[in-house]
Amino acid sequence: MQEVQNLQDGVIIKEKSAKVSNPTGWQSYLPVILAIVGSFLMLGLRMEIGAKFISDGALMMVALAAYILAALFQLTNLYAPSEMARKIALWSAALGVFFNLSSWLVRWVAAYEREIGMLRAGGNPETPWFFRYIPFANLYDLSIAFAFGAGFATLLFAHRKNFQVLTAFTLPLAALILTLARFIGGEFIDLPPVLDSYWRPIHVGVASLSYGVALVCFAIAVMYLIKDKIKIESLAIFSSLFAVIVFGTISKFSVFTEFTYRIGTFLPNPTAGGKPFSSPFRLEIPYVGAVLAFAGILLLGVVVSFLIYLYQNNEGAKKAGHILLKLAFVVQIIAIAFYVSGVKAESNALAEIKSQYAADPIQYVIAGRAIAEKQQMSATEFAALTPAQLEQGAKNYLDQRGDSLFLNIKTNPVEFSGLLTALAGTFFVMLFSFRTEKLRERLPSLQSLDGLMYKTASLAFAGLAMLLITGAIWANESWGRPWGFDSKETAALIAWLTYAAFLHTRISRGWSGRSSAYFAIVGFLLVIFTYLGVSYLLPGLHSYA
Amino acid sequence: MSAAEETIRPKEISETKSKPILDRAVEFLSSVRFGVVLLCVLVALSMIGMLIIQQNVQGFDSYYASLTPAEKTVFGALGFFDIYHSWYYNFLLLVLSLNIVLASIDRFPGAWSFVSKPKLDASRKWLLGQKQSAVVEVTETKNEEVIAESVAQAFKKNGFSTKISEKRGNLFVYGESGKWNRLGAYIVHVFLLILFLGHFIALQTGFDADVRLTPDSNPSQQEQAQAPKVTDQIQLIQFNLDKQERYNVQLPFTITCTEIEQKLIDRNGSIEINNTLDWRTQIKIDDPEYGSTVADVSLNKPFEYRGYRFFQASAITIGSASEMTLDVIPQTEGAQPLTVNIKRNGETNLPDGTKIKHEMFLPDFSMQGNQLTTRSADFNNPVAVLSVTPPNGQTERVFAFANKLPDNAPINAPKAGYRWRMASFEKSPIAHVLSIKYDPFDAAFIAWYIGGFGLIGALAFVFFVSHRRVWALIDGEKNEIVLGGNTNRNQFGFEDKFNKIVSALDPNFVPQTEE
Repeated sequence: MQEVQNLQDGVIIKEKSAKVSNPTGWQSYLPVILAIVGSFLMLGLRMEIGAKFISDGALMMVALAAYILAALFQLTNLYAPSEMARKIALWSAALGVFFNLSSWLVRWVAAYEREIGMLRAGGNPETPWFFRYIPFANLYDLSIAFAFGAGFATLLFAHRKNFQVLTAFTLPLAALILTLARFIGGEFIDLPPVLDSYWRPIHVGVASLSYGVALVCFAIAVMYLIKDKIKIESLAIFSSLFAVIVFGTISKFSVFTEFTYRIGTFLPNPTAGGKPFSSPFRLEIPYVGAVLAFAGILLLGVVVSFLIYLYQNNEGAKKAGHILLKLAFVVQIIAIAFYVSGVKAESNALAEIKSQYAADPIQYVIAGRAIAEKQQMSATEFAALTPAQLEQGAKNYLDQRGDSLFLNIKTNPVEFSGLLTALAGTFFVMLFSFRTEKLRERLPSLQSLDGLMYKTASLAFAGLAMLLITGAIWANESWGRPWGFDSKETAALIAWLTYAAFLHTRISRGWSGRSSAYFAIVGFLLVIFTYLGVSYLLPGLHSYA
Repeated sequence: MSAAEETIRPKEISETKSKPILDRAVEFLSSVRFGVVLLCVLVALSMIGMLIIQQNVQGFDSYYASLTPAEKTVFGALGFFDIYHSWYYNFLLLVLSLNIVLASIDRFPGAWSFVSKPKLDASRKWLLGQKQSAVVEVTETKNEEVIAESVAQAFKKNGFSTKISEKRGNLFVYGESGKWNRLGAYIVHVFLLILFLGHFIALQTGFDADVRLTPDSNPSQQEQAQAPKVTDQIQLIQFNLDKQERYNVQLPFTITCTEIEQKLIDRNGSIEINNTLDWRTQIKIDDPEYGSTVADVSLNKPFEYRGYRFFQASAITIGSASEMTLDVIPQTEGAQPLTVNIKRNGETNLPDGTKIKHEMFLPDFSMQGNQLTTRSADFNNPVAVLSVTPPNGQTERVFAFANKLPDNAPINAPKAGYRWRMASFEKSPIAHVLSIKYDPFDAAFIAWYIGGFGLIGALAFVFFVSHRRVWALIDGEKNEIVLGGNTNRNQFGFEDKFNKIVSALDPNFVPQTEE
């Protein structure tokens, strides 16, 4: 209690103050201010220096490294408190955001220069408006912006010292998104003419920021659960089930059914620098399927062991579960190593395909079906195709174009990123189970986390509402159909309705804390489905995105 | 009987009357809990519609063909192939709208009381129970009014409007900001209902259609494009599982396509979508009621006329040309070659009075018997077919090829005294497709602009503004100021504000920080 002479109006005031959190001034926003301002300076430099400037892809990789560094230092600070580690983490995060936004801005200029070059080479003197080239044309662009949204939102909330721990939870996810972007590939695409609208930067810009805030909300939810003394073994069950689902669904469900993993193949794009085309043929990578299946079995063992521990308080089961978890982690690393080395070692995709398909002719039929689906046949014509015709169609395709087929890590970016995410999930669960009580002490209070979770969920809700409405207005202006229940529209609507339900349960049932945390997690998973699942799994207008 | 017992009388058992069923039903319909359940059901149905391909989505026919008869029967009977237009989905939206209205009516009086009857005073215990509270001991004072005024000034400096009141011998200072935020949720729901209603009206009163148009006057070109130049009908598409049925809809006016243009990235490249910057269709509307109107329709720039909105949808990518440049080489010795430009459907004259009229353009010239045709849609062997009438001579058909042909080729023989060659041409597709949205009441505009933007504004108001209240109880007897405050949102921001108020009273105040 302080006793102070205050001469104002002859009043002397002593006070005892109740609970408060960190006071903040504008200086606490310095990291995010410098990151944004610095990015625009980079843009200026790029415009000045020209094509010799560092590429957007390289800047993106530096951003990825900075995010990982920030997360590492913040995790170190969590377990072994250190002011230096905290500061390095904060400024690394700011650097990450700086490079992330710089990458996006530099890409804008590069896209502009690319098409202007094409226009001039084709004798076209026209100079389209600069906003035509804003990097919101494909999933790569959106991924960069999504990661920026997450980093930016993290820095904004981290202006309060006690929330700087957020970087340990959000930035690994942002790094995973940038990794996905890396595998998608940053080749420029020819913009579909209908996308050349001023609504594109508005709609997609809002999307990336909303997704970023939803990611932060998810991270806070996880922090809340940990602080609320949820057993790490419960988290392990969820992360293991997620990994098992990933393994089960990739490679067209062949990991658990055939113990094989087949990767897609590419055909080169005749346009220099153009994105390669996906071919309908998938090639088995040796050992990957079997190792992933083994990892899946280990993870199922983790689930069973921890369920026994949770329901019967069996310490032996708990111990077994942790051993299995560590084993599963190692096996997943081995699977990914086989994946990468298998892709890099393959030099003659055509020969390998023919050899594998000779032993398993049904693969020809599957490839033939994929070829037929792209041929705009009627349903009757398609249904009338026999397996022999499909097989012959596939063989004809191989004869004509098989020499050009090649393998690349980028052929299945979502699947590979799914494997990396599953690995990251296993890693973090293992990390959280180490000195858990120490970790819990270092996290902000439950009340703070709950308040921040509500705040971020509200922002995500408002952002998704803007996303839906700007999308509808754009659609109404461009093709007269504001709402057509397209897959992406519907997925975004579902995510928005989930956040709406979350907010209303707080009003009606006073749900806060754990229940809210679960809602926030489900909401974010739906956002991820909107961002990624729709584009790769479902047909519709937004499939190009 | 003792006096005590005399006073003991059996308590009458009162029967609790159950509420009328209508009251209970309204209570149920207006509960937020029920609304959350409706949201969850809506989510589930929307997911079904996402995972089961809908009949209006490209690829439905092959998906439908791949289903088993049982799946077709069950999904079809449940309406899963067009779930978003099913009766139960619309009913769900209707019930949700009703729930929103009733819940809002139910809760509005409580919210309004924050605005109309602010809580100007509070007990010490209540104040200390608030999330933000502080007790300031006053060791020397002039009078309570002066202290109250100091406190009110501190409140005002931090953006609160203040009221000083007296109750039970104590002075209270009340400060608040953003009181209208209490009504924010109702404003959100009003705009949401406008959006629902507007969209519903647009669906019920309007329709989607399309029309193919070509600027070519030549009937054979129109036949090739399967598109007329002039029409008063558009085609409405209705989906019936894997069948697309087209119906003609009569327009109250006539549309004539006067020109189409395609802006290419590489002018020497193809007219495919990946080489396209924009498409533009120029149309002329002849309306018996309102006269003629000329309009341009291009991508993202629709044209609206009498409730019909015309959108540039796509192009029929059979090659054509909107303008051609001809090299005309006179056969007279010593005469200079001429260069003339001619537009599609256009006419021009040579200096000697020879009339040149454009007949048609073929991208990949071929003849089947006497019939002129094109082998493909690509510009492999482009030719401009012209009608040439020399002065005092007969009209002849002339072929001006872009590719160099041998001089002795019969088709390349001089005609009307000149040898003809097409030096260059502006590539264009043969026809464009316009999509038309009929919305007679502008319901889509009301739904999405007014409802949509209103919703965004209301959400911003709800989440970026909060109702903050602070109280100060000036207790002269105990010589203390008891401060308390709460907010309905943004607790952290309010904490900072509260700390600033206390700091305004005491510059040396240092808030405790949460580590």
